[in-house]
Amino acid sequence: MPDPRVERRVYFEDVQMNVPLETPGVTLTDTHTALFGSLTLGRPADPGVIPELIPLCMSSGLGWRVPQPPLVVLAFMGFEWRFLKPSRVGDTIRSVSKTVAKRSMKEGGVVVEERSILNQRDEIVQSGRLTLLVAKRPPA
Amino acid sequence: MSGEPTVYFEDVKVGDEYTSPGRTVTEADIVIFAGLSGDYNVLHTDAEHMKASLFGERIAHGLLGLSIQQGLLDRVVPGQAVGPLASVKWKFKGPIKIGDTIHVLARVAAKKDGEQPAAGVVTVERRVVNQRGEVVQEGETDHVVARRPA
Repeated sequence: MPDPRVERRVYFEDVQMNVPLETPGVTLTDTHTALFGSLTLGRPADPGVIPELIPLCMSSGLGWRVPQPPLVVLAFMGFEWRFLKPSRVGDTIRSVSKTVAKRSMKEGGVVVEERSILNQRDEIVQSGRLTLLVAKRPPA
Repeated sequence: MSGEPTVYFEDVKVGDEYTSPGRTVTEADIVIFAGLSGDYNVLHTDAEHMKASLFGERIAHGLLGLSIQQGLLDRVVPGQAVGPLASVKWKFKGPIKIGDTIHVLARVAAKKDGEQPAAGVVTVERRVVNQRGEVVQEGETDHVVARRPA
């Protein structure tokens, strides 16, 4: 019987290429802006406008709400990202992503993910590519 | 609104440099960011798991470091010289651990025309440096900055 304390996980070998994954949505609120503002002390946003880094930051968490085991990420290596449209309080965003490249390394493997953030009107508000170092499956 | 003089595209010079204040990244910062982002990856939230990891302890979310450096730089860049973000290219070069103190070194690397005639694009190179002088994150950001009205 599997040890229930050990959650199931997705390793480098399990990552499938070009399979789109869509997350549930999250509605952006003034509370997100206030929490983010107190955390970062950034420039105050115009009323009703969501600071542009919030959707990017929340898209990583949205991935955790998809009913599949988490990817075993060893490190976030980098990303390229474009901010295409502003988001406003009350907008509901979701993320659509797929793996577009995999490269095996000595320790783990590099996975390149293409990710777009869409709003309730299906407009792409932000998009880009993220590069992750992912663990290989440990020997049984 | 803030009383700051408006900074236009024409006022920004290639080679302008900015050094931010420092900030010590705390456990509370990581907990708040996990709650805000919903990213509860063990890298940031499971101290026991991380004892056996490459890093030996919990590390800050990469995007928390990015968010903090953005706030730090906002404190030293005048007006909208570095306006809304249009794009980011970013590398996470090393971990930010609880108790590390980071600051940002930034330099205006390029200016070019934007899609709209009323604004230009400013490219800023940024390095996030810890208390040991190690570059933990680096990259460049593009910003849309309004031109001086005719």
